[in-house]
Amino acid sequence: MGNKIKIQIKDLWFYYKAGPILENIHVGIPENTITSITGPSGQGKSSFLMTLNRIWQNIDGASVKGEVKINFGNGFKDINYPNYPLPQLRKKVGMVFQVPNPLPTSIYKNIAFPLKLIGEKNRKKIFPKIEYALKKAFLWEEVKDRLKEDANVLSVGQQQRLCIARALVLEPQILMLDEPTSSLDETSLEMIEQLLLKLKKKCTIILVSHYMDQIKRIADKKLVLSNRQLKQQEEEDPLKKKIDTPL
Amino acid sequence: MEKSFQDRLLVMFSWGCALLLFTGLMVIVGFLVVKGYRTINLALIFGDTRPLDAFLLRQQVFGGLFPAIIGTISLILLSIGFALPMGLASGLYLAEYAQPRLKLFFSLMVDILAGIPSIVVGLFGFSITIFLHHSFSNRIFPCLLISALSLAFLVLPYIIKTTQNAIESLPLQVRLTAPSLGATQLENIIFVLLPSALSDIVSGIVLAIGRCAEDTAVIMLTGVVATAGIPKSVFSNFEALPFYIYYIASEYSDQSELMKGYGAAIILLVICSGLFALAHWVKLQIDPKTQFSY
Amino acid sequence: MGQLMRHKENIARIIFSSAAISSAVLTLSVLGFMILLSLPIMKTGMLWKILTDPWAPDHGKFGIPAMIVGTFYIASFSLLISFPISLGCSFFIQIIRPDSPGRFLKKLVQLMTAIPTVIYGFIGIFLLVPIVREMFSYGSGMSILSASLMLGILISPTMVLFFCQSFARVPKRFLNAVDALGGTSFQKLFCVILPHAWPGVLTGLVLAFGRAMGDTMIALMISGNSVILPSSILDSARTLTAHIAMIIAADFDSIEFKTIFICGGVLYMMTSCGILLARVSDRKQH
Repeated sequence: MGNKIKIQIKDLWFYYKAGPILENIHVGIPENTITSITGPSGQGKSSFLMTLNRIWQNIDGASVKGEVKINFGNGFKDINYPNYPLPQLRKKVGMVFQVPNPLPTSIYKNIAFPLKLIGEKNRKKIFPKIEYALKKAFLWEEVKDRLKEDANVLSVGQQQRLCIARALVLEPQILMLDEPTSSLDETSLEMIEQLLLKLKKKCTIILVSHYMDQIKRIADKKLVLSNRQLKQQEEEDPLKKKIDTPL
Repeated sequence: MEKSFQDRLLVMFSWGCALLLFTGLMVIVGFLVVKGYRTINLALIFGDTRPLDAFLLRQQVFGGLFPAIIGTISLILLSIGFALPMGLASGLYLAEYAQPRLKLFFSLMVDILAGIPSIVVGLFGFSITIFLHHSFSNRIFPCLLISALSLAFLVLPYIIKTTQNAIESLPLQVRLTAPSLGATQLENIIFVLLPSALSDIVSGIVLAIGRCAEDTAVIMLTGVVATAGIPKSVFSNFEALPFYIYYIASEYSDQSELMKGYGAAIILLVICSGLFALAHWVKLQIDPKTQFSY
Repeated sequence: MGQLMRHKENIARIIFSSAAISSAVLTLSVLGFMILLSLPIMKTGMLWKILTDPWAPDHGKFGIPAMIVGTFYIASFSLLISFPISLGCSFFIQIIRPDSPGRFLKKLVQLMTAIPTVIYGFIGIFLLVPIVREMFSYGSGMSILSASLMLGILISPTMVLFFCQSFARVPKRFLNAVDALGGTSFQKLFCVILPHAWPGVLTGLVLAFGRAMGDTMIALMISGNSVILPSSILDSARTLTAHIAMIIAADFDSIEFKTIFICGGVLYMMTSCGILLARVSDRKQH
């Protein structure tokens, strides 16, 4: 690829109550690419994502050791330093959870929430950003007439797109998605993949996914998390494939 | 065969206990209502004074429950006013800020506070009065303010525990959403956690109100009296419904006074059950909107 | 923006932690005041006498053991009455008929927790005491028995709800396993639920006992308040709580008044030990 490294991780350990979930992780995530993470269920893929925005701190019993250095344009800084400003970090590193988590309020207010957090009060500036984010997430057409409705009346697939739009509204430099298309139908799935491909020009994307063909379609760098280790996915040897093909 | 005999025994026993409790309750409430329903009228509350005059404080009410009802209401307002901010803040601290070891210690303190018998809380209020009397101004006596403060101490642990539980039982996803979008801890509390936990917190407050309305032991030691009329200020003596009931039970001089006691008991029962039903209703009202459905 | 935000966060943290610290200070102050105001008496070395003498102020005797015994008797009897009934009710609600009848009973029990104790005392005087007096033709009817009966009804709802909660915490898969093997309700209860939930039952018992020890109005109104050590259930007795309520009217400078704080201290200790015990047994269920 030749891209610069955006995130450099060294000696990373993740502990949760019973014991280590991630052991001695070393990896570099390249800038403006889609990096995928696959692996067996429940083995720590979501936990890995949490180390990149330090949201593990809000979970009882979780602790982390090691270096997570991110370059936001001013050089590499380790986000695990105790005084690292977390609210700022999380505005630059967006996260879309596995299960949609709309806030108990209207669609409009859901998307406007991050803008509220940065102190944006001007309605004239807020509304275009909301429209833009919803269009990018391919949700605008479906909700443009009912922005004041409670977000909970949306279907699961729509809620997931809502959460994606919400994560995009502040234009984060890094976007992490935890199985974002598992609640989506075919069409939405394709649309989201298109979105990610477009997005990667300005954004470093990390994608946890179970769909191997999805990974093949859009991922630039493929990682596998198993046995508490994060490694490059083994590339299929094209010669092996030729020999395997039936005569 | 033997298994089904054991089972039948269990079923009979359970039904027996359920019926026993049910009957006990019916007997108690029934007895009260049957004996006292005849006295439920305006005269019970306002005596000989016209209700409007009583409300506008133009005329004193003698021989009616009005002053006691006002006393109880004033108590509730004052004590919840003291206990609510402190209870909310403490509960928030325990749910969101406290480290595990500190949390253990603080919640033990809250549990112990909750377990202190109400008469001891009243005694504590009384002791504070003694202290203030001797150190500050010897015009300080047991009064509405002291009673309200002591009641606040009594219900404080309820509010703390309710707030703490309400927030801690929010699903993890709800607690993580705002922080993952860049909210600070305070922003998370104000914009997401408190609104989501509101129904539980409010119903906890309503239950605390019920506790203030019914308590007798605390106010007995801190300023309630049998006849005081409407309290002129927070430093004066006052009347209260539960104390009235106790007083009548031990010092009634004739049948009509006793009947007033029954009437007061019915009114207090209605108030407390009403508050309880309100707490339930509140929970149902706010809940549907904060459902997180997947 | 960053500085201001951090300031607000810090101020908020300080406010919240101060509130929590104040609550803890409050808990300890209650004990502190009791001890502080008991000091004059303790200094005269009367503490031992207070814990052993009978109560006869006119003869210079200010002992409180009769009241401690009274508290224990009444609380224990009320528990004796209430425990089986509460257990049976929670079986009913959770296992035997968890459908409409159980739900109805649960709602009723929840409603019962709102009934003021002074009302139980009131009913006790005018309904229960005459019955006890007639039935046993002994004394005035104001006795340990009457007080325990009413107190038993008072503490039952909390116990029932607590037990129900403990039973509900048993993992469904255990119950499903019993059903799948064709087990009866009895077996489900004794082989699966109770073994798992007994710490919760114990906690509920301890908490109810604390509640029973701490109640004032029922004891004050219907236990008779005699200062002689009771010899039977039909005898009158006095609890520490009622004792405090009665002594508060005494002369401020008298010794009998000053013993009130020792009573307060003793009650505080008793209930706090109960809380600690309950904590320990609660840990076991987790």
